[in-house]
Amino acid sequence: MILIPILALAVGIILGSLVGAPVTGVAGVYLAVACLAGIDSICGGLRSYLENKYHADVFVTGFLSNIAIAFFLAWLGDRIGANLFLASVIVFGGRIFVNLSLIRRYALAKWTESRLKRKNQQEAETQARAQTTTP
Amino acid sequence: MVWAMSGMLLVLGFLGSLAWMTQKARVDRTSRLDPDQAGRISFGTIDTMESLLRAQQEVQSLRAQLAKLQTSVAENSGQGQLLNQSLKEAQRFAGLTPVEGPGIVITLRDVQNPTADMMIEATIIHDVDVLRVVNELWNSGAEAISINGQRVVATTGFRCVGPVMRVNDVPIASPVIIKALGDTDTLLGGMNLPGGIISELKETSPKMVTLEGAKKLELPSYSGSTKASVSKSTPPKTQETP
Repeated sequence: MILIPILALAVGIILGSLVGAPVTGVAGVYLAVACLAGIDSICGGLRSYLENKYHADVFVTGFLSNIAIAFFLAWLGDRIGANLFLASVIVFGGRIFVNLSLIRRYALAKWTESRLKRKNQQEAETQARAQTTTP
Repeated sequence: MVWAMSGMLLVLGFLGSLAWMTQKARVDRTSRLDPDQAGRISFGTIDTMESLLRAQQEVQSLRAQLAKLQTSVAENSGQGQLLNQSLKEAQRFAGLTPVEGPGIVITLRDVQNPTADMMIEATIIHDVDVLRVVNELWNSGAEAISINGQRVVATTGFRCVGPVMRVNDVPIASPVIIKALGDTDTLLGGMNLPGGIISELKETSPKMVTLEGAKKLELPSYSGSTKASVSKSTPPKTQETP
């Protein structure tokens, strides 16, 4: 199950490299910012899934609109002479860090919880066994 | 969850690898250029096809014009001849006809083995050096000048693009052979004037410049575009006397 997204990522990378030709002109410059927005959205989706707040529609629209907005901001920044793409880099970069740290916490919490549970279970079992063996 | 995530990751992978390749291509292509030149190149593509098409169209229209002129010359020989003569004169002045005559040949070379006491900047022939030689040649009475087979005309530009320089938008590099038509002795005298560009170059290394007179030189005609897109000729105004 967890392999499917990883496979999809690999397929995407292969498709991209099959296209082969580098993107010319300004679009090539903004592509990097769009990538950053995409990474942020993926992390956000993972986090909301771990928080049980995941909605597929929110995730998909967020992903697409984030990429579009990042692209647009970078373009607008070049037009009006303010480095607006820095805004995307800072916001998305910061959010990636926050999301990843939250994901780490949830994963850690889950892990410790399951370990505790297993420990309790084992103790319960040993107690039960002790009770059954002692007449 | 899994399917939406997979779809988005596919898009992200695609975008990411495209961005990766774009950046790699840009670095490969422009890392040896000046930063400002690299910036200009990565923000736009140079479309040579368009100028080629424009040039081809111009050739066609010029050929049609030529045919028209020739028939008019045949039909009306008296006026036609006069017109033809003044046209030829104008063409010679504009550099649109090949010319021949006496003159001088100046060859500018980069220093091949610079010694430690030379400044590297000074050992290379720059666009500015060529421009200054051409200016001094005009000033000394040259009637026509060509640089590595490129005729110098009113719109000729000299500029430096990376490791080569462009004259009439054609890339040239050392050795730069400048041919100038005119009175050989006058030109040689003018170019050898102390304090000029020739003596300046010779100060760096005498090998950078060779100057020689020639009895007969042949210069090609200008082969670039002569089309005007926005300006047009107006009839000469009668001048007011002050």
